[in-house]
Amino acid sequence: MDIRRLALYLGVLALILFAPAFLSAYWLSMLIQVLIFGLLALSVELLLGNLGMFSLCQAAFFAVSAYTVAILQVKYGQPTIVAVPAALGAAVLLSLIFGIAVRTSGVYFILVTIALGHVFWGISWTWVSFTNGEGGIPNVPALAVGPLVFNSHSSYFYVVLAVIALCSLAYRIFIRSPFGLSLWGIRESESRMSGLAYNVVIYKYITFVLAGTLSGIAGILYIYFNMFVSPASAELFLSIEAALMVLVGGTGTIIGPFIGAALMIVIRNWMSAYVKHWMIVMGVVFIATMLWTPKGILGMIRQISLGKRKSPAS
Amino acid sequence: MNWILQALNGFSMGALLFLLSSGFTLTFGLARVVSMAHGMYYLLGGYVGLSVIRATGNFWLALLAGGLSITILNYFVDRYLLRRTGENHLAQVLLTVGIVLILSDIALSIWGGDALSLRPPEFFRGPIELPGGIFYPKYRFLLIVFGVLVAVVLLVLYRKTQIGAIVRAGVEDREMVNAMGINVNRLLMLVFALAAFLAGMSGVAGGAFLSLYPGAEWEILVLALVVVIVGGLGSLEGAMVGSVIVGLTDAYARWLLPEFSHFAVFGPMAVLLLFRPQGLLGKEA
Repeated sequence: MDIRRLALYLGVLALILFAPAFLSAYWLSMLIQVLIFGLLALSVELLLGNLGMFSLCQAAFFAVSAYTVAILQVKYGQPTIVAVPAALGAAVLLSLIFGIAVRTSGVYFILVTIALGHVFWGISWTWVSFTNGEGGIPNVPALAVGPLVFNSHSSYFYVVLAVIALCSLAYRIFIRSPFGLSLWGIRESESRMSGLAYNVVIYKYITFVLAGTLSGIAGILYIYFNMFVSPASAELFLSIEAALMVLVGGTGTIIGPFIGAALMIVIRNWMSAYVKHWMIVMGVVFIATMLWTPKGILGMIRQISLGKRKSPAS
Repeated sequence: MNWILQALNGFSMGALLFLLSSGFTLTFGLARVVSMAHGMYYLLGGYVGLSVIRATGNFWLALLAGGLSITILNYFVDRYLLRRTGENHLAQVLLTVGIVLILSDIALSIWGGDALSLRPPEFFRGPIELPGGIFYPKYRFLLIVFGVLVAVVLLVLYRKTQIGAIVRAGVEDREMVNAMGINVNRLLMLVFALAAFLAGMSGVAGGAFLSLYPGAEWEILVLALVVVIVGGLGSLEGAMVGSVIVGLTDAYARWLLPEFSHFAVFGPMAVLLLFRPQGLLGKEA
């Protein structure tokens, strides 16, 4: 790593660390959203970047943990210390169940995860006595651990940042582990890996559950930020958006999904405030990304900065 | 008695799902294209049909207009957008989602956010008496008849005619068919047009007993996806079997377990994933 790069990283780190000091409330809340949805996108990347599996049910894991926290805290008056582990458990459990999807591959996997995600959305919508249906669950209390209460965005920001840093670190360690490297083998040639006596399905299953857990963590961070959860958090659209964040940012890195999340969230918030037909603009963003920047923003930057040198394979 | 009535409900829902999923499964089989726009085609076709009925009062014209408008729309979507994604399914999914976002916003500003429903012609309304003294809504009964008719026509086309043989060969190996001097592109266009026509028409047919509203595009799409997952992607017969299974499960679940009716249709899908992930009539991937 050369000096210029190191300086760049340190500069960005300092900017992020001191963000609450100089960002307005609006931009701080945007930054928190970027981090949270970036984590959700990272869970998509875990499956897509390493296994080539395109999951469209990550919103279900995101929502199940958000709902668990909301229901435990609001309906049963449980403290954070109970709600958070329970929420994590719920996300793991749901991904263990939805994990049957890994028995399929390619297009089938995409279609099956859409259908599974829809099941959870249906539950959150129709089980009114438990989830309040369409109305959702408002008034979730702030994150509180013992005497510490994170009831302002500027203090909660550091919680989010710490969790994201830990998750990213864990992600990096996981990917570089022998297990993570085997995933690349599976992505490149499934038949060869099973020929080498790897149990491919188990590898996929475990990775799927880890991705679900990651989405669940994002969901927990989200509920203590938003204080409200509704079936919109379980919608297919959120899963799709998370996938698009990965593609906009570029796959193959940890930072990519966060860059994608930043762009998408800024565009979405900005558009929905100023443009009446912002859904059309979002649609155009989807189409344009697919047609013109298949390698994402990072891929484009790499291409440009490498100049005439050959671009590295993804 | 009730069991028979519910079976009829299941078959009529199945007929509707077949209209939608047969096109989906054929376009995938031949062109390797997965389109999330199919649900939107259903809704949009229904809306167009609705406007035609309001203007002319002619249900047949509405069916035709719903189907044709979607065929034309799909021609442009396919030609200028989908074709450029090659066989990248991920790009196809996100690209077609983008198309759905655009179309649903346009539809919302034209037809509004309320649930609308189509009025079938006088002749189709009221009950019909079936053998055994069963009274059943005429429209839904005729929908079953129509679904079976379309299924038979498609099956004969697919299995017994030369064009069907070419399509089947194309599903197996597209390059080979091309190498034999057959214009696969023209064939693709034909199958795409047929699929879009059926999807648009199913919106008009379905709009007369399920209502049309923003969001319906995703609900019907997911049901169609379950049909092809159960039946096996790319197989016409699979779409038939899948439609009947999903339609019947849905109807019986609504009757016996109303609280779980939303997810009951996913039951067969889960069982299948465990024991036969490629679907009932699908080939080993």
